[in-house]
Amino acid sequence: MIKVVHYINQFYGGIGGEEKADIRPEVREGVVGPGMALQGALGNDAKIVATIICGDSYFNENLEEATEEILQMVKNYEPDLFIAGPAFNAGRYGVACGTICKAVKEKLNIPVVSGMYPENPGVDMFKKDIYIIETANAATGMRKALPAIAKLGMKLAKGEAIGSPAEEGYIARGVRKNIFREERGSKRAVNMLVAKLKGEPFETEYPMPDFDRVAPNPAVKDLKNAKIALVTSGGIVPKGNPDRIEASSASKYGKYDIEGVMDLTQETYETAHGGYDPVYANQDADRVLPVDVLRELEKEGVIGKLHRYFYTTVGNGTSVANAKKFASTFAQELVADGVQAVILTST
Amino acid sequence: MDLENQKRVLELSEKYGKENVVVVLGSSEAETAGLAAETVTAGDPTYAGPLAGVSLGLAVYHIFELKDEVDADVFDEQCGMMEMVLDVDAIAAEVKSIREQYSNF
Repeated sequence: MIKVVHYINQFYGGIGGEEKADIRPEVREGVVGPGMALQGALGNDAKIVATIICGDSYFNENLEEATEEILQMVKNYEPDLFIAGPAFNAGRYGVACGTICKAVKEKLNIPVVSGMYPENPGVDMFKKDIYIIETANAATGMRKALPAIAKLGMKLAKGEAIGSPAEEGYIARGVRKNIFREERGSKRAVNMLVAKLKGEPFETEYPMPDFDRVAPNPAVKDLKNAKIALVTSGGIVPKGNPDRIEASSASKYGKYDIEGVMDLTQETYETAHGGYDPVYANQDADRVLPVDVLRELEKEGVIGKLHRYFYTTVGNGTSVANAKKFASTFAQELVADGVQAVILTST
Repeated sequence: MDLENQKRVLELSEKYGKENVVVVLGSSEAETAGLAAETVTAGDPTYAGPLAGVSLGLAVYHIFELKDEVDADVFDEQCGMMEMVLDVDAIAAEVKSIREQYSNF
């Protein structure tokens, strides 16, 4: 019998959402939440003996302590396999899954597997260290994710050979493996080139890594005469959120006039963001979108002018593709409006 | 389906009996309607809520499927506008398919 320990966050543990994200790690015998379906997918040869639940905020704010605590819990059960998640596109959950998986693998020498959406920040941080099954971006992908996680996990636990990312469904780890092919390289390369010229599909044997690095623009030389704009992914909106920007996975951004606004107050602005404790942002939205300070700098002549509009969206769970789409639209407006620099604030 | 609503459905079905509860959905998309229908029949497909692993098998319909059961004026007032803008057929087909697979009533 293969013994499995499963790690999930407070939400899937049925404890609560964001308001319970600060709970400390706890361990329960047997399955909890998604573990029910995972047990089914693992079959009769494996048994989830325990489930460890930890709040996402607690884990990320107490990284070393939480990792140590959870390692000890895992160790007590001496499992043959450790499964974390799946975390889909939940950033802090993904980072927690990756961190704890890496620690279990390296310190306890137990095979590990997790599941995430490719844009989850946990993927870039940990794909080289652990196997991460590629999932959909939301929990609706649970039914598809768990069998793939279970299948790869069982192979790892039994010490079987692991196939390519495409065969097993995990996110490429950047590992190269020598294999024999029937045709030599030069012929395969020419075949690919011919296919490409004909507009036919072909599959590269060496996919380029997907770097998303933005080269910084040159520094603003004349700040005194520069028009500066404020842009935020922290969800600051006029009170009442007039454009109904979603609290998570935003499908739009807002553009709001701050002509004559010297200070964002509790009565006039709030945050639409659903991924952090909104109390302090709602008390004083300048904490996220510093209009008050920029007005002072404007008055002191440090900057030329604060742009009349600010742009805002909610970064919580919003896909990189959507965020890029928003920015490419309003960046053109900013340029057309003569803005020289943007201060981008997040949370 | 959010966790609070899952809890309410579970409590109501315990209080009145599964056979006496009909869930009427108002979702605006086929996918979300299907997920909600699945939640109250087969169980929460995301395994996060009180209905994770709980197969209530309730009778579930989208309000668009019940048009003939509702007073025409009331339907028109409450749903007429949405009926014009939403993909009624896709929503109804999705909920029906889930109902036929998992509903016991």
